[in-house]
Amino acid sequence: MTAQPDLPRDRRDYMRWHDVLLVVRDLPDASSSLPDGEENVEIFVMVGADGHVTAFNGHVDLGTGIGTALGQIVAEELDVAFDRVTVVLGDPSRTPNQGATIASETIQITAVPLRQAAATARQTLLALAADRLGVSLSELRVEDGVVLTPKGGNLSISYGELITGKRRVVRIDPEAPLRPVAGYRVVGQPVSRVDLPAKATGQLVYVHDMRVAGMAHGRVVRPPYAGLDSGIFVGTSLIAVDESSLAGIPGILAVVTIGDFIGIVAEREEHAALAAQRLTVSWKPTPSLPDLSQIQTALRANPSTPRLLMNRGDVDAAIAGAALPMPRTYVWPYQMHGSIGPSCSLADFRPDGLTVWSGTQNPHVLRADIASLLQLPEERVEIIRMEAAGCYGRNCADDVSADAALLSRAVGRPVRVQLTREQEHAWEPKGAAQLMEVGGGLDAAGGVVGYDFSVRYPSNGAPILAALLTGAISPVPVISEMGDRTAIPPYGYEHMRVVAHDMPPIVRASWLRGVSSMPNSFAHESWIDEAAAAARVDPIAFRLRYLKDERAVDLIHAVAERANWVPHTEPGSAGGDGDVLRGRGFAYALYVHSKFPGYGAAWSAWVADVEVNKATGEVAVTHVTVGQDSGLMINPAGVRHQIHGNVIQSVSRVLKEEVAFTGTAVATRDWGTYPIITFPEVPVINVLMVPRPDQPPLGVGESASVPSAAAIANAIYDATGVRFRELPFTPERVRAGLEAAGITPAQPPGKVRRGFWAALGAGFAGLVGLATMALPLRAAIAPVAPADTSLYSAAAVARGRVLAGLGACAICHTVPGGAAYAGGLGIQTPFGTVYTPNITPDIGTGIGTWSYAAFDRAMRDGVSRDGHHLYPAFPYTDFTRATDADLQAIYAYLMAQAPVGSVAPQTALAFPFSLRPLMAAWNLLFHRPGAYQPDLIRSAQWNRGAYLVEGLGHCGACHTGRNLLGAERASRPMGGAVADGWEAPPLMGLSHAPIPWSEGELFVYLRTGYSALHGPAAGPMAPVIQELAGLPEADLLAMAHYLASSQSAPVTAETEARMVAEIKASTTGAMRISGGPGARIYQNACAVCHEAAVMPQFGVQPNLALNSNLHSASPNNLIRVILNGIQTPANKSLGAMPGFAETLNDAQLTDLVGFLRRQFAPGKPAWPALQSRIARLRAETSAS
Amino acid sequence: MTRPVSLRVNGRSHSVEIDPQTPLLFILRNDLALNGPKYGCGLGECGACTVLIDGLVARSCCLPAALAENREITTLEGLGSPAAPNRVQAAFVAEQGAQCGYCLNGMIMTVEALLRHDPHPAEATIREALRYNLCRCGAHVEIMRAALRAASGAPVR
Repeated sequence: MTAQPDLPRDRRDYMRWHDVLLVVRDLPDASSSLPDGEENVEIFVMVGADGHVTAFNGHVDLGTGIGTALGQIVAEELDVAFDRVTVVLGDPSRTPNQGATIASETIQITAVPLRQAAATARQTLLALAADRLGVSLSELRVEDGVVLTPKGGNLSISYGELITGKRRVVRIDPEAPLRPVAGYRVVGQPVSRVDLPAKATGQLVYVHDMRVAGMAHGRVVRPPYAGLDSGIFVGTSLIAVDESSLAGIPGILAVVTIGDFIGIVAEREEHAALAAQRLTVSWKPTPSLPDLSQIQTALRANPSTPRLLMNRGDVDAAIAGAALPMPRTYVWPYQMHGSIGPSCSLADFRPDGLTVWSGTQNPHVLRADIASLLQLPEERVEIIRMEAAGCYGRNCADDVSADAALLSRAVGRPVRVQLTREQEHAWEPKGAAQLMEVGGGLDAAGGVVGYDFSVRYPSNGAPILAALLTGAISPVPVISEMGDRTAIPPYGYEHMRVVAHDMPPIVRASWLRGVSSMPNSFAHESWIDEAAAAARVDPIAFRLRYLKDERAVDLIHAVAERANWVPHTEPGSAGGDGDVLRGRGFAYALYVHSKFPGYGAAWSAWVADVEVNKATGEVAVTHVTVGQDSGLMINPAGVRHQIHGNVIQSVSRVLKEEVAFTGTAVATRDWGTYPIITFPEVPVINVLMVPRPDQPPLGVGESASVPSAAAIANAIYDATGVRFRELPFTPERVRAGLEAAGITPAQPPGKVRRGFWAALGAGFAGLVGLATMALPLRAAIAPVAPADTSLYSAAAVARGRVLAGLGACAICHTVPGGAAYAGGLGIQTPFGTVYTPNITPDIGTGIGTWSYAAFDRAMRDGVSRDGHHLYPAFPYTDFTRATDADLQAIYAYLMAQAPVGSVAPQTALAFPFSLRPLMAAWNLLFHRPGAYQPDLIRSAQWNRGAYLVEGLGHCGACHTGRNLLGAERASRPMGGAVADGWEAPPLMGLSHAPIPWSEGELFVYLRTGYSALHGPAAGPMAPVIQELAGLPEADLLAMAHYLASSQSAPVTAETEARMVAEIKASTTGAMRISGGPGARIYQNACAVCHEAAVMPQFGVQPNLALNSNLHSASPNNLIRVILNGIQTPANKSLGAMPGFAETLNDAQLTDLVGFLRRQFAPGKPAWPALQSRIARLRAETSAS
Repeated sequence: MTRPVSLRVNGRSHSVEIDPQTPLLFILRNDLALNGPKYGCGLGECGACTVLIDGLVARSCCLPAALAENREITTLEGLGSPAAPNRVQAAFVAEQGAQCGYCLNGMIMTVEALLRHDPHPAEATIREALRYNLCRCGAHVEIMRAALRAASGAPVR
């Protein structure tokens, strides 16, 4: 089979071709209004004059490689080589309408007419050949598309020759003979998928990869009621959109607002993304959801209508007479499809119609939905189905297609819309929570007296989101009857009642792999396991008492044998070591799907082996033996692959997955908060495929998932004797269940030390009167003609540049994106915002008329040329220590810069600080003018370091706390402070770094912005490092020497190595024990960069246990870095860190930050009031 | 603020007039039309966007382009083509190491980087190397076989 070549886009084009044989079926609703009946048909198979076969199937490839199996079927029936067949999948313009690609129907249902069409083509061609060759049809045989006469005769004619010269259209002949299974050459052989060479080399074009001329990029901004799609607030919650919030973002083409639908179109993707993040939108508050952390209560309270699916015998009387009543309740959580690629679509709206490239599951319905939304006739909407990330059900693929259509219509250009990860997580229609209740019991002999089953499944087909948000359709939830899949247990209980309580969705929900069957089977297979245990019968033997289906019985025997099942009647037979308990569990299911009563797909049975750690509650599924009877397997390689995929995905769902909600929306919006299985957690999978070539082929896309949850729950019971009836089996849930049952670890998990810690003293708070201060005025220094920069040597200017870097002049005197030194940056102080002046040599607005004397006075005394006092946000108290030569060099450098005309905003501090003359009094109190005086008993290097650190380097400006009047505290130099909202940590002997800073590490940090023993420079320190880049190594070494000199003893490399080893040992092992949601976020969102990996990666991997910020009294730096990431590192080779402000909410960040403190600074007290602090820092950083 | 950003990708030099803070992924895909690296999460969590920078794995979705400037960037396309796949790509095709294939880029690039660093990794090392590459279809078994095959140069039993 070959990948799809360029073929005509429309069915009618095929119908006009000559030299073809077309096998067709009349459209189900074909009217006679069209004169040419051929317009009213669907094509299934086309054979061309070149002997090539094209097959058409209405389903799509959801990432399973289904086209390969369909190609095998056609090649087999037509007797051609596999590579002569091309399969065209789900495309409303070309393929038959065979409904949505759901419920594992493709092979079982939609391939049936395709196979018959291929047989019809063969039969037709054989008849033509018989005629042409003059031989009876029954004597002919075919080899790879060539019709041959019986042995002895050597006549032959190819399909192509038979077709050439005429167009034939034939209807599918239901009587055309199918080839006998015994003679199969292609079907039943493992065949490699045709799409993988292109996928493995980046050549396959997914919908995400579509690019057309003139294409613009779209993003949507969704309402705050994320993941909700019913209720009167849907489509009616928008108050206002403030487009001015997008000022400065280039290339914005449109902001489209219709009801609650908001989309942004930009020329470039990054600008669309930035705009969607920045757009200021006000929304009405969202009404509260029911508490979905209590699924049982929420589902019972959701209005429902009972629908009786089965009522056999007298259930009530039978259960009333039970010797051992066994009422049980089983709970399934909300889960996600979790496509790895967030949905994407491209739409091109033109005057003559609309083309949409989409990853939809359901192209025909999508076409109708979009036509209705845009009020276009359906025939003017073309849906081109492209491959997308695997979806496993209804994800956002349809939604984003409608989004793209609306945005393309708005701008009249093709628009590609990409949903973000957060949007896909939040808005994908969830796999619904489900509540299963069983009434039942055993008689005195251990037999099941009756089984009374009911199910609640709040889900529907999830109407297309844009239609709801724009108000095109009403947000009244439709009730669909889909909770009944596999609701009837496979066991022949004598008295049995099964009821589905049909109910509307609570949150946006739709089908997910194993639609309602997985939960229903979880209940059936857990309950029968509980019954077997109560009856003291081996779980498999107990099931076989009630199971009459022969293929099921065969399968179960085969799986038990393959797994070396040892019959047992008590838990604990598999033993354990220390805290680890082992167990194995069995479950079986025939996945019954589609509209009730539905029909079965493949039979499946599991034996799961687990290890349960009773100290941590962690469950590892170590081994799964899975058997499947799929009937005839078209492509056994594909079947095996599907079984593997189902086992792995369902283990993930059972152990880990649960959507969390805030009171009004979906809370879990990334893989950190909604983790899925990782490679080290994948079990060994032993697949047993029952050969049934004589039986019809069955769907294999979902069946192997269905027994998973019960098999694992039953295995946990076998290991521990404790029954878990609610998913997922997270460590917390299992630990709590074991504790409740009195199962305690051999050694109790290490206690997390907690403590209370007073809030950070408010360094800047409070204010005292200044009334007694003197108010001297200073004289202006006359302006001078602009300095003649030719007087300065190049060497002096170059030295000035380095010194200006040491002074970091550019950081404060430049606004982001603005001209260097042109000023205007606002410096936040406790007394108000101080705006930095323009220090370029511009005559009118800069310092172009400043003599050196004026400059020197400003640097040393904090007085401007015109005599007004500068605020000590400008660190003249430090600069005063510089030598004349250094100040002259800086002057020369600044005067050599290009003048920039720019007036900074007026600084306006609160009274009394608005009175600049007061600063004279301040200076009297706190300013000690004069150049640095060396300490003669110290070395030259020490003195050089002190000169740089305390002088132009003005490290204390950030790292020394200030008193109530904003002066550096002389009593605690470098004692740590807050700068620009970040903690400037204490330096020198006061550092709270877990490993004392050595001279060597200080040097490396100042040079590169990173110390492996301490972490990277971030926040305001990152640009400082960049400014230091020009400083000679000797100067940096001197600074490091000076800063390290206050340590009581020098820190040696040996000490460092020993401490690193100790800290790592004390902070890695306990990870799982201290666990919880914060640990999960760390492991799934952070650890990829912060944990040592088996190979190097680009950028640094800071170990958080060594990071000073984790050990600080203040969590601010940690929180800020997590919120905003590090996008401009001190040094490009450090790599970057994304911010999580858009992804994690305050509660999730509280979990994470709390965990990080416990885990990586185990000796330190917990940070208090984290959640409110996080909220405050979030508000601060989003406002800035 | 845009400026010309110089990127060397798959052996060819490009200069793109762009805000240097733009994620590298957007430039590779939108300006250089490379479809190998995929957008998966924008947070470095899933690995679908993985490229090699100077031979080391990097998650291009959250890497400002400025940081990759003047370095050797390799994408999936740079390893090989359908006609001439490199050993890792060939092993993934041979072992059918994908279902939908959306995560495949990250899997192949990560295994490629691992093998450059450690030509004979143990199975546990491969699992660890791929720990932070997510696959939702559950193709892990075939991916592991592909990685082992790439490492050994021979089919896996």
